[in-house]
Amino acid sequence: MTLKEGLHAIEAIFKRELHLLTKTPTFMICIFGAPLICLIFFLSLMKGGLPKDMPIAVVDLDKSALSRNLTRQLDAFEQTRVAFNANSFYEARKELQKGNVYAIFFIPQDFGKDASLGKQPHLSFYTNASYLVAASLLFRDMKTISVLAGASVGLQTGRAKGYTDDQITAALQPIKVDTHAIGNPWMNYSVYLNNTILPGILQVMIFFSTVFAIGSEIKYGSSREWLKMGKGSMLISLLGKLLPQTIAFTAVAFLFAAFLYGYNSFPLNSGWGPMLLALFLLVIAAQAVGIFMISVLPTLRLGLSFACLFGMVSFSIVGFSFPVAGMNPVLQSLADLFPLRHYFLIYVDQALNGRAMIYTWSEYIWLLGFLILPLLVRKNLKNALLYIKYIP
Amino acid sequence: MIKNGLLDIFTIWLDEMKKVFRDDGVRIFFFLVPFGYPLLYTFIYNNEVIHEAKMVVVDQSDSYWSREFTRRVNGTADVQVVSTCTNMNEAKTMLDKKKAYGILYIPSDFDKDLHRGKQATVSLYVDMSSLLYYRAFLMSATEVSLDIGNDLRMHTSSAGSAQLDKIMVEPIPYDSVALFNSQNGFASFLVPGILILILQQTLVLGIGLRGGTEREKNRFHTLVPISKHFNGTFRVVMGKALTYLLLYVINCIWVLWIVPRMFSLPQVGDPMTVVIFLLPFLCACIFFAMTLSGIIATREAAMIYVFSSVIMIFISGISWPESAVPPFWKFVGLFIPSTPGIQGFVGLNTCGASLSDVAKQYHLLWLQTGIYFITTCLIYRYQIIKCHKQVVRQYRYMKMRKMLEVK
Repeated sequence: MTLKEGLHAIEAIFKRELHLLTKTPTFMICIFGAPLICLIFFLSLMKGGLPKDMPIAVVDLDKSALSRNLTRQLDAFEQTRVAFNANSFYEARKELQKGNVYAIFFIPQDFGKDASLGKQPHLSFYTNASYLVAASLLFRDMKTISVLAGASVGLQTGRAKGYTDDQITAALQPIKVDTHAIGNPWMNYSVYLNNTILPGILQVMIFFSTVFAIGSEIKYGSSREWLKMGKGSMLISLLGKLLPQTIAFTAVAFLFAAFLYGYNSFPLNSGWGPMLLALFLLVIAAQAVGIFMISVLPTLRLGLSFACLFGMVSFSIVGFSFPVAGMNPVLQSLADLFPLRHYFLIYVDQALNGRAMIYTWSEYIWLLGFLILPLLVRKNLKNALLYIKYIP
Repeated sequence: MIKNGLLDIFTIWLDEMKKVFRDDGVRIFFFLVPFGYPLLYTFIYNNEVIHEAKMVVVDQSDSYWSREFTRRVNGTADVQVVSTCTNMNEAKTMLDKKKAYGILYIPSDFDKDLHRGKQATVSLYVDMSSLLYYRAFLMSATEVSLDIGNDLRMHTSSAGSAQLDKIMVEPIPYDSVALFNSQNGFASFLVPGILILILQQTLVLGIGLRGGTEREKNRFHTLVPISKHFNGTFRVVMGKALTYLLLYVINCIWVLWIVPRMFSLPQVGDPMTVVIFLLPFLCACIFFAMTLSGIIATREAAMIYVFSSVIMIFISGISWPESAVPPFWKFVGLFIPSTPGIQGFVGLNTCGASLSDVAKQYHLLWLQTGIYFITTCLIYRYQIIKCHKQVVRQYRYMKMRKMLEVK
């Protein structure tokens, strides 16, 4: 078969596939519907970057000017909102258990009096760590207000004794820790999560769509016709069949990139090139894994189940929320089997931290390496296409 | 009439049980996934917190206290100092090579400032690929700085007595307590929600697949087979729902009781209360799934639904605080059983709430059960009528053909 014949065959299968894609609503949902719904959902959900005005309960047993001042200042913090003024710790705890508040700030009796008398009244705050995100952010705010409370009292008494402000600050806090969060200085949760979740959704949809395309041919018995159009060559047949999907999914991926890095201006310290390349590599790597899935389990329903289950695990095992280094060693090596893992590492290095591409060369190679998978199972797939009869 | 109805329900129940066990797709989603996925997810997050996060120190002061700072930071459980560098560029290269994820920079006048009674500053530069690393570095550095601060004051302060020292230096001490998940563990926070979601999603996928198979196998591609037993809507819906409920009681025991126990996740809820709460949750999920199965046409298309799992975890308020969810998505969340299910279960199981504390979620689940039961009945009624019409049409067609043949 000459090159020209091969290209003609690919073109013919391409046209056939386009017709199939537009005819079946499942494909449209898969390629456009689901990714777009997720795009709208995640970007609108975390639009503010950080949750604002999270409810807490304040138990103020003192009700002096100082304690009321503290409560007001705590309310003024962006992330905190004093939603409930409880009369006892029991009441506040009940609200916590109901899920109406995420934390409790406790001011004991005679707080104002004891503070000015130098009797060291204790402030305490309790976070509901079952909601880890809320708890961590509220912990930060409540700790700041507690430190400030101590600092303001210390400042007053120190000034009264004739010390300078510098000396007082040094006495209260001899060592200060100055933090610089590189890449995401605003601690924006949208940057932290969406840059991996959205490509993750795309990956699952690509698995699903590839398996569905090839599996449907087997199920509805049109696989022989397809193979004949490809002149019996697996390479030509697959190329022709999956090319429309590659183009469509790459377009959707670039749309994601446009929204993430263009519209939302998320950190893109490496420039567009590496990220667009990484997205394209993710698309073809995911398609290759999809081919592998259906080759290994040639029934449509089993292949799809494999695709769904494998795809959903990737959100947890890829390590953008809980780092892979913190997982069991078995899982650390398992994580490498997911194309999304390598995309995530490329994203962290290139977009988030602006490192040179050479530092992540191995991840690019991994993504290209996934393309070898279909080669390993091509005999299996060819047999499935020719000989399998669908049994419902 | 009632006796007939009950017998029919029993027949349908038995029939559905047989079909569930025969269908390999349903077997995967009803049994394999609820068995394996909870194990897998809990295993992934099982270490709960990260320990020995790698950090590199740039010590330009090279004094006793800067070395002491480094020593103490290395001594914390959360951080491991992999090396000490002499300048920032070397440290940055280590970050680039991912040998470390944070830089602690101690400036050259650190020691001088400490002894002069001026506030000294150390800087922390963190790679933001994981917020857990940021937290680990920040907490350790802050803890050590407070610790060393206290030690220094012992040496340098001259307020008169130890107690006066303490008063000047910490006029208002504070304590923090992390309730219910005292180690701020990742698994303890996220896995209970994931477990509830697994139950819901597997139900939807399994029942969706069953619906698809029925359409493929039944003569007229309807949801309901032609049989004298399948005449009443109520009996069909109840018969099927009973099957799924019984199967999922077993799944619930494994997923929500045995697996968390195996991995030592928080489990402070009263078992009876949790069971009472799970009943409307399961019913709501089953009818929700049956309604969806009426709408989705093929068994394969049902599986696309799986992408919604990520959306549902975020709507439920467990990973993204409910107060920060926009009102539109909160409204959408009210229609999904997992939203009140996860909120109520976390409250009962992890926070030790009582049933009256989660009354809002409990009521919502019963409301959803009622609404989805009605929609399921409507869909099945429509399917049964459609099936009858097809039978009548086929009968008339056969009769006409026979008349023509005889002629």
